[in-house]
Amino acid sequence: MDVDTEPPATRDIASRIVTPGTLITSDPAYMRGHGTFVENTAIYSSVAGAVERINKLVSVRPLKQRYGGEIGDIIVGRITEVAAKRWRVDVNSRQDGVLLLSSINLPGGIQRRKSESDELQMRSFFAEGDLVFAEVQSYFADGALSLHTRSIQYGKLRNGTLVTVFPQLIPRSRNHFHSLPCGVDVVLGVNGYIWVSKHVPASTIEENSEMIYSDKNEFISDDERETIARIANCIQLLNRLYVKITDTSIIFAYEASLGHAVKDLLTQDIATDLAHAVKSRLDQQA
Amino acid sequence: MASLVLSPAEQDFIIRGIEKGFRGDGRGNLDRREVTLRTGMISQASGSARCRIGNLGVGTDVLVGVKAEVNAWTPGEPEALGSVVCNVECSPSAAQEFEGRGAEEINVELTQLLDRVISRGSQGAGGLDLSALCIIPKQAYWVLHVDALVLDVRGSIADALVMAARAALMDTRLPRVVVETITDDSGTAQAEFDVVDDAEDLVALKGVSGLPVAVTFNQVGKRYVVDASEQEEAVTQAKLTVAVSPALEICAIQKGGIFRGFQPSLMSEILQTAQRIAKEELTRFVALYEEAAKHKEQQSDGPSTGSTFLVAF
Repeated sequence: MDVDTEPPATRDIASRIVTPGTLITSDPAYMRGHGTFVENTAIYSSVAGAVERINKLVSVRPLKQRYGGEIGDIIVGRITEVAAKRWRVDVNSRQDGVLLLSSINLPGGIQRRKSESDELQMRSFFAEGDLVFAEVQSYFADGALSLHTRSIQYGKLRNGTLVTVFPQLIPRSRNHFHSLPCGVDVVLGVNGYIWVSKHVPASTIEENSEMIYSDKNEFISDDERETIARIANCIQLLNRLYVKITDTSIIFAYEASLGHAVKDLLTQDIATDLAHAVKSRLDQQA
Repeated sequence: MASLVLSPAEQDFIIRGIEKGFRGDGRGNLDRREVTLRTGMISQASGSARCRIGNLGVGTDVLVGVKAEVNAWTPGEPEALGSVVCNVECSPSAAQEFEGRGAEEINVELTQLLDRVISRGSQGAGGLDLSALCIIPKQAYWVLHVDALVLDVRGSIADALVMAARAALMDTRLPRVVVETITDDSGTAQAEFDVVDDAEDLVALKGVSGLPVAVTFNQVGKRYVVDASEQEEAVTQAKLTVAVSPALEICAIQKGGIFRGFQPSLMSEILQTAQRIAKEELTRFVALYEEAAKHKEQQSDGPSTGSTFLVAF
């Protein structure tokens, strides 16, 4: 990395990749943002990432970062602990999130009030190890995320498998639950946990409000199982080759992968080829 | 290793998939993942190797170093044999449950396993020639310290461990030892040895190509899988690690898992399958080791750190 000795007007300091300790600029006009520190009016990077500049604010966006958590994020979490009137949830962040008993839908209708017996049988709703599809409602005083599942599409996840990816590859969007054309549902948790499952029509879920906390899977045919495995492998190769994971990129990867056996998708050569095919198709589309 | 807790729905999904012979990543029950092998990265060790089982740069990662020392013989020890001392440690950064004293049990289990496979299992079964490690009978011998560090865990630690240990021992070079017989004034013949201090004058270990490879079979429901992922290990009820020599003889067996035992008929089926898979694994190992040797040659001037080990992408 070259020391930035040219005046900023002639060279844009943004979009450089820097490592911790790299000098970004020594012009005192700039203010320092996240990922930087100041020594003797010069701004240095404190993380490994790309430099971003907004007017006079200089910051560095790290290439790899723990999931932080914003209010309104749609996430997938795993229950780690059942405590008094709440569950602790692993959300792939610095701290476990909290799901309060008052924040979940109780079986028997959304309007049903919480009773004392509900407190005593919390494991009948969520037990340790269960996967939950939730939204971030607020923060606790210590920064832990408070989650809720107060909507019919949220709740316990079934009929599929979990894929863990880098959180920064999942852009925040309006919709995080996608029904892909190949017959597989995908839940893209912003925290990097992705749930790939068999497609279950929404009407089935609504009819059985008593069954929302069931642990039983539906019957999954061989073809559905293969498609789920194929999509899971596509997501994993997009993750390892650092391609943004959206429903579009997953569909492109799936279509490009159809010529290969499912188990070969994760071998280095084929994965690299597929990732390049997806990237070029995304570029064309843009 | 009951580390990962899965939901009942996930467990059911995995078990049913294995019953159909179609695992979560599309592999069949006997298919194995990719293996990356590198040797010679620890310059201060007599031999070293790093083995990663897993695809796309992520997987179970084991680093093994071999250090040779000369020991003085004490009465009670075998008179004309060297020895091998194994030690396996799971790094606390490999998995959350290894923090503090959490890894104690698994360290002992894996050390016993490596011991069985490398030193005990191979004596007389065509493995490491321990008599070649003796310098002067009843006086001095080589002791090989085989130290393994588990850096990352994604299932199948035993297989990666044995593969890395095998590669490290194949990579090991001992300094040449010159033994002289000196007759002193009173007429008694005394043997003395001298370790040649020349970095170019090194000797490989005898019998290394006879070392076994290990294949671990995990029982899930009524079927078994080879090279289990972390999720599959979470639903495993019992596992059997079988070490098979290049002569296709079974050198060591270690059963793990406290939830249930094996039916004898299933065990004999597993042992038969182990021979077949071990043959394929040995062929694959030879190719991997050659590639690692080529890599080592090209990198002889570069830094010998593990960062060059990562798959570039």
